[in-house]
Amino acid sequence: MGNEELWVQSVLEMPKRRDILAIVLIVLPWTLLITVWHQSTIAPLLAVHKDDGGDSRRDLAAGLDSKEYCLSDRDIVEVVRTEYVYTRPPPWSDTLPTIHVITPTYSRPVQKAELTRLANTLLHVPNLHWILVEDSQRRTALITRLLRDTGLNYTHLNVETPRNYKLRGDMRDPRIPRGTMQRNLALRWLRETFNKNNSQPGIVYFADDDNTYSLELFEEMRSTRKVSVWPVAFVGGLRYESPKVNAAGKVYGWKTVFDPHRPFAIDMAGFAVNLRLILQRSQAYFKLRGVKGGYQESSLLRELVTLNDLEPKAANCTKILVWHTRTEKPVLVNEGKKGFTDPNVEI
Amino acid sequence: MKSLLFGRFLLLLPWVLIVIIVLDIDSSRPPLPALAPRGGGGSGGARPAAGRAPPRQAPEAAVPTIYAITPTYSRPVQKAELTRLANTFRQVARLHWILVEDAAARSELVSRFVAGAGLPCTHLHVPTPRRYKRPGLPRATEQRNAGLAWLRQRHQHLPPPQSGVLFFADDDNTYSLELFQEMRTTRKVSVWPVGLVGGRRYERPVVENGKVVGWYTGWRADRPFAIDMAGFAVSLQVILSHPKAVFKRRGSQPGMQESDFLKQITTVEELEPKANNCTKVLVWHTRTEKVNLANEPKYHLDTVSIEV
Repeated sequence: MGNEELWVQSVLEMPKRRDILAIVLIVLPWTLLITVWHQSTIAPLLAVHKDDGGDSRRDLAAGLDSKEYCLSDRDIVEVVRTEYVYTRPPPWSDTLPTIHVITPTYSRPVQKAELTRLANTLLHVPNLHWILVEDSQRRTALITRLLRDTGLNYTHLNVETPRNYKLRGDMRDPRIPRGTMQRNLALRWLRETFNKNNSQPGIVYFADDDNTYSLELFEEMRSTRKVSVWPVAFVGGLRYESPKVNAAGKVYGWKTVFDPHRPFAIDMAGFAVNLRLILQRSQAYFKLRGVKGGYQESSLLRELVTLNDLEPKAANCTKILVWHTRTEKPVLVNEGKKGFTDPNVEI
Repeated sequence: MKSLLFGRFLLLLPWVLIVIIVLDIDSSRPPLPALAPRGGGGSGGARPAAGRAPPRQAPEAAVPTIYAITPTYSRPVQKAELTRLANTFRQVARLHWILVEDAAARSELVSRFVAGAGLPCTHLHVPTPRRYKRPGLPRATEQRNAGLAWLRQRHQHLPPPQSGVLFFADDDNTYSLELFQEMRTTRKVSVWPVGLVGGRRYERPVVENGKVVGWYTGWRADRPFAIDMAGFAVSLQVILSHPKAVFKRRGSQPGMQESDFLKQITTVEELEPKANNCTKVLVWHTRTEKVNLANEPKYHLDTVSIEV
């Protein structure tokens, strides 16, 4: 063993190192190329997927790319559209409180239409959890399919209002408010699902399926600490009802014509409650029996909060962000007694 | 020597390719598609420039714009109706909303609404002559015609074929998002079922072998096109190539508006059935109850004036 052999050895090793270096230099750019090529198919979909309200949804070419977008978390298998995929809601944020929207619903001809347009609104709202409670013996296929197709974050519950509690015909009997048992079930579900000590921040809002909600409303209620209130249009025989707010920004009364001396003269759509408060006051429910007309909201709110603690929203209760619209009963006179159209066609 | 050069070449080739592609992506950012000119108050929500532009531009440009012509008139629930309609339309890619007020001048409410609507919107207005405001006469004729006129004028100097689909969206109906998917592929005139209309759960065209052969409706099935305003869409090119096709007042009977219009531009054989051969209901002819304002004082008593 002499210097010669050492020299030969090192010469033999150097080419090896050089070979490895050469191989790396060749392989690396090809891998980069392939990644860039892959990215260029996914990137445009992710790039336009921004949390800026409705705009990004418009950027997605309808149908074709929205399916790709929905699959971007998993492998992109095929870009062939086999089934329409609804636009997804905005991405979940870790900083925004979740809004739990409780909607009681019951079966009637306009049900699917009402829930469709409500879902179209809710799809704009980030961090939204829709709790849909059917007034039925079991969960219906119509609602199950509808909820699944929207792509919203949802919980599907049901409880049937006993026959003697249900409204008779079209007459509004104020002693039996519709939707009470369903809302109470949702409250109970929230209390069973969330732990009051370490739950994420959340807001609870009761949204009937025929009202109209602006997107601004959901952002107003997100900052609720206890219970927040705002005006509601088309209730109480007025253009709108509203809380009375003094110069200090505190609610001191109610601007209504119908019984303004109720403890909380406000419509179901006019307030939101912080989830923590719901969990702390675990016995607070809507009163089922013996509630006078217009006092249902009070039956819950008086167990949660006092007038002084209410937080006025919507620019100190001067803007209308929710309308108590009601949908006409459709004329189905041509269906006749036995029904004329195919009952399998879902409306 | 040769193998050395060859080796060097192989080494450099992929890097050169990468540099070329990166440069290509940077420079080939597609120009923002021209948003339609906005009339009236203009609308907010301009499309933000995509951070990383897709290298392929074809899919973006190929999506035809949907034009929704919505006649509207002032009444208490107007803003609510427009709000929830906007909430639906904003979920649809490349939809241009043409809002036509039944008014002599643009109202403040609608102008403000359009400014904050969040989608491309054109705000027009044309008043209905008082003699046409009787019950039983067709409504919103002038407004829909104004929408058609605006579209025709906007596209008159552009060469055919113009891609785009137009439909008439009344402000109290309910539209599912799937409907827009279906209508976007309209070549001439497409049709689909409408729920809660004609005194029935739904009305629909009867389809055999992919062609419309009849009408399943509860009211006057003898009409040439027994379909509701919400049940069809027309491709923009058809509208442009039939410049005289408008909704008629003179000599039109109640309920014949759709028929009189469609027979000017198409025949039953040409109709394209959508919604799974017209077996799915994707649009509902909902109507909103008249609001109870019994407790409103005769004169304005409040200290502030709030818009509802």
